[in-house]
Amino acid sequence: MIRRLRAAEEGLAALALAAMVVLPLLEIAVRRLAGVGVPGSQPFVQHLTLWVGFLGAALAAREGRLLSLATASYLPEGAPRLAAGVFAAAIGAAVAVLLGLAAGELIAITRDAGTIVAAGVPAWATQLVLPAAFAAVALRLAWRAGPPPAARALAALGIVLGVALWWAGPKLAGAPAWPGLVVLFAAALVGAPIFAILGGVAAWLHLVGDVTPAAILVETYALSVSPTLPAIPLFTLAGLTLAEGRSSERLLQVFRSCFGWLPGGTAVVCAFLCSFFTVFTGGSGVTILALGGLLLPALLRDGYRESFSLGLLTASGSLGLLLPPALPLIVYAVVAQVPVEDLFLAGVLPGLLMTSLVAAWGVREGLRSGTPRAPFVPRVAARALWEAKWELLLPAVVLFALLGGWATTVESAAVAALYALVVQTVIHRDLGPRDLWRVLAECVVLVGSVLIILCVAVGLTGWLVDAQVPARLLEWTRSHVESRTLFLLGLNGFLLVVGCLMDIFSATIVVVPLIVPIAVAYGIDPIHLGILFIANLELGYLTPPVGLNLFLASQRFERPLLVVARAALPMLAILAIGVLLITYVPWLTTALLSLRAAP
Amino acid sequence: MTLLRSLAALACALLLPALSPAGASAQGKPVTIKLASFVPEGSIWDKNLRQMGDEWRRATDGRVALTVFAGGQQGEETTVVSKMRLGALQGAALTVLGLSQIDLGFYAFAIPFFYESYDELQHVRAALTPELEKRLAAKGFVLLGWGDAGWLQVFSKKKISTLPELKALPIYTAAGDDRMVQWYKSSGFEPRPLAFSDIPTALATGLIEAVPVTPLAALLLQWYRTAPHMLEIGISPLVGATVVTQKTWNAMSEADRTAVRAAAQAMQERLRTEVPEQDRDAVTQMQKRGLQVSAPTDAQAWREIGDRFAELMRGTYVPADLYDRARAERDAFRRTAR
Repeated sequence: MIRRLRAAEEGLAALALAAMVVLPLLEIAVRRLAGVGVPGSQPFVQHLTLWVGFLGAALAAREGRLLSLATASYLPEGAPRLAAGVFAAAIGAAVAVLLGLAAGELIAITRDAGTIVAAGVPAWATQLVLPAAFAAVALRLAWRAGPPPAARALAALGIVLGVALWWAGPKLAGAPAWPGLVVLFAAALVGAPIFAILGGVAAWLHLVGDVTPAAILVETYALSVSPTLPAIPLFTLAGLTLAEGRSSERLLQVFRSCFGWLPGGTAVVCAFLCSFFTVFTGGSGVTILALGGLLLPALLRDGYRESFSLGLLTASGSLGLLLPPALPLIVYAVVAQVPVEDLFLAGVLPGLLMTSLVAAWGVREGLRSGTPRAPFVPRVAARALWEAKWELLLPAVVLFALLGGWATTVESAAVAALYALVVQTVIHRDLGPRDLWRVLAECVVLVGSVLIILCVAVGLTGWLVDAQVPARLLEWTRSHVESRTLFLLGLNGFLLVVGCLMDIFSATIVVVPLIVPIAVAYGIDPIHLGILFIANLELGYLTPPVGLNLFLASQRFERPLLVVARAALPMLAILAIGVLLITYVPWLTTALLSLRAAP
Repeated sequence: MTLLRSLAALACALLLPALSPAGASAQGKPVTIKLASFVPEGSIWDKNLRQMGDEWRRATDGRVALTVFAGGQQGEETTVVSKMRLGALQGAALTVLGLSQIDLGFYAFAIPFFYESYDELQHVRAALTPELEKRLAAKGFVLLGWGDAGWLQVFSKKKISTLPELKALPIYTAAGDDRMVQWYKSSGFEPRPLAFSDIPTALATGLIEAVPVTPLAALLLQWYRTAPHMLEIGISPLVGATVVTQKTWNAMSEADRTAVRAAAQAMQERLRTEVPEQDRDAVTQMQKRGLQVSAPTDAQAWREIGDRFAELMRGTYVPADLYDRARAERDAFRRTAR
C-alpha cells in the first residue's frame, strides 16, 4: 500500500514534467500546421511548473534532499547531534505548517475571485498542491528526525507550533522581531532546510508587522507561474538526461583528445567538461555528484596532487553558471525583468573567461608537477568529436531557436529537453524506458529542492519592499558613495558577504530587487549587473559557512569539510580575479550584445 | 570613523522600521494607505499620485497618509489585487487588466474600436460609474477616481496600413489571458502570448513584429526604435483607476473620506487633460527621431473586425447588461454630437 502511494506520488510528478515537455512542442507544431495553437498550452505549462516544483519539494523531503546551509556534522555524534537534528526538523516542520495554512487562505481568496487558468480550470484548484506539499514536507521532516520514536515525536511538536503560530497570528502584531529571528538563525546553523529559514524569517516578519503570511503565498504563486520559469525544469531535464546517459564519457573523450596535449591537460579537460554540464544542471551541484566520481580518479591517476584535484573539482562544479542557458541567468532575468536572451548573450565571454582562468591554473599545475601529456592526434580528436556530435550540438540548437526568433525561452527549453531525450534513448540507446522514468523523477526532486527555496524567498523580498528597504538603501548609497568605481567595489564586497550567507537562487530573488535601482542610478546596465552579480555569487559556492559545493564535494569525495575548503582556496582567488575583470571591464558583457545590435 | 557611523546609520535605517511596532495605536486612528502602481517612478502618473498623497495629508491633518510603491514593485496587477484582498495592501492604481480581476464590468472600456474619442469615452464612463462603484463595493473595494493612461496604437517593424497586413505579422498579446489568444487565432491573427519583459528582445529577434502600445509608453520604453512604424488606428483607450479597500475606507471619518475623494477627483481631472497631450507630444517627438506614422486605408475592414471582437466580448468578458448600457450611451452621445 505504502509502496503504491510512493510510486503514485513519483508518477504524478513525472507525468507533470513530461506534460511540460510535450505541451510547448505540440503548440509549436500545431501552430505551424493548423495556424491555431493548443488552447491554454502556455498557462497550463506555467501551472505545471507550480506542480512540478512543489511535488518535487515533497519528494525531496521524503528523501532528505531539501537543501540546507549547514549540517550538524561538526557536533559530537550521539545525543548532541540527535538533539540538533530534532530541533532543526521541528523548526522546519513549524514553518512548513505555517506556510501551508497560509496557502489555505490564498486558496480561499482565489476561489472568491473566480480566476480561471484556461479551458475552465479554476486557479484555486491548481493551488491545492501548495498546502498538500507543505503538509507532506512537515510530516516528512518530523519523520526523518528519527529513527528513535521520541525524536520523531519531539520533532512533530513543530507541527503543533506551526498551527499555534497561525492561530495566534494577529496577536503577534507589534511583538519584537528578534526572538524569532534568533531561533531561526540557530536552526539554520544546525541544518534546517534553506526554505524553512527564508520562509520562517518572511512569515515571522509578516506576523509581527501585522500582515498575514498569506501575502507570502501570493508572491509564491505569482513567481511559480511566471512565464519564463518553466525553462528551469526543462533545461534541468535536458542536462540530467545527458548526465544519466554516457554522454559524460563521450564528452570527456572530446575534451581529452582536444586539450590533452596541453600541460595540465586533464585539469583543463575537467574545467571545460564541468562547465558544459553545469550550464544545463545549474547551481544544483549535480555536476559534482555526477562527474566527480569519474574525474577525481582520472586526475589522481594522472599524477595530480590530491588537494589540487579536490579544489579543481569543487570549483568546477560552479563554473559555467554564466554560460547560456544556465539557470541563474534565467532566474535573474525573471526577477530583474530583463530579456533573458540578452543575458544569455552577455554571459558568453565572462563565462568562457572564468573557465579559462581555471584551465590556466591547471596548465600551471601541469607544468610544475610535470604530469603526463597525451599527444594530439587529429584523427582521434575528429572521431571523438563525431561520436559526441549530438551532445555538442545541444547548446547550438538552443541558441539558434532562441536568437533566430523561432521560439520563446520556454519553447526552446522544451526543444532542448526533447532533443536530449531523443539523443539518449533513440540515437545512443543509453537510456531505456525504465531509465526514462527514473530521470524524470530525479529531475523533479532536483527542481523541487531549488524551486521551493525560490518560491519562499520571494516572500522575504515582498517584506523588504513593503518596509521600503530598497528606497532607503538607495538614499543611503546616494548620499555616501560618490563614484561609480567606489560603488562597484562596495558591491563586490557586499555580494561576497551575501554569497557566504545565501545560496545563489535565494540571493538573486532577495538581493536583486534591492540593488537594481541603485545600480541604475549609478549608470550601470542591468544586464552587466546581472552578469557581475552571478559571477560574484559563484564565489559563494566555495566560501564557508554556506558554500554548497563544499558540502557536496565533501560528501561525494568523502573528505572532511575543512580539507575541501582549504583545497578550494586557490580556486577562490582565481575566480575572484575573474569577478574583478568582469566587474570593471564591461566590454566583456556588452561586446556580443552590441554585435547583435549592429546590423 | 565616518564610515562606521554611516554604516550604523544604515543599519538603523534598515532595521528600525522592522523592529518598531507597525502603525500607532487604535485610538488616534491614523490610516496609512500602502498603494501599488505600475507606472515608472517620476512619470506623470507617479507625480500625480504623490501630489494626491500630499493633499490627503494636508486636508486630513495627517490622519490619512499615502505610501506609493511605484513601478510594479509590489508585483503584477493580479498579485496586487490578491494582496489587497488579503489586506496586505490598501490601495492600487490599476489598469483595466487588474480592475477586471475585481469585476469584469471594467472590460467595457477595453473593447477594441468601440470608442472613437476621449469625449465618447468620458461620456460612457461617467454614465457607468455609479453601477461600477456598486459592483466594486460588493467585492470590498472603493473607486476613488479614474485615470487615463493613453490610447493604444499598433507599433510594428514593417510599415502596415491594412488589416491583412497586420494579420500577417506575429503580434504581442499578454501572457495569461488564454481566451483572448484563442480569439485572435480564430480571427486569423498571429498572437504570441509573452511576458511583458520579453517584448524588447522579442521585437529584436523577430519573434513578434507588432505590438499594441500607447505612444507615450512606446517613447518611454524606447520600443519605437525597433518598431519604427505606427499605425494610427486607435484600438482602444487604456483606462485606469485608483481603488482602495472597503476596510480602509471604513476606517476613515466621514470628513476625511470627502477630502480623500476630492483629491482623487482632482487627480482624475489633471490626468484627463495632461495624458492625451503627452500622448500627442510623444508622437511628435518620436517622429523627429524617425517614427513613420500611417493611417489605415481599409477603415471598413477594421470596423468589421472590431464589431466581431465586440460581439465576442459581450457576455463573456463584459457582462451583457453593462455592454448594452455602454453601447446605448455611446450611440446616444454620437447622435447628440453630430
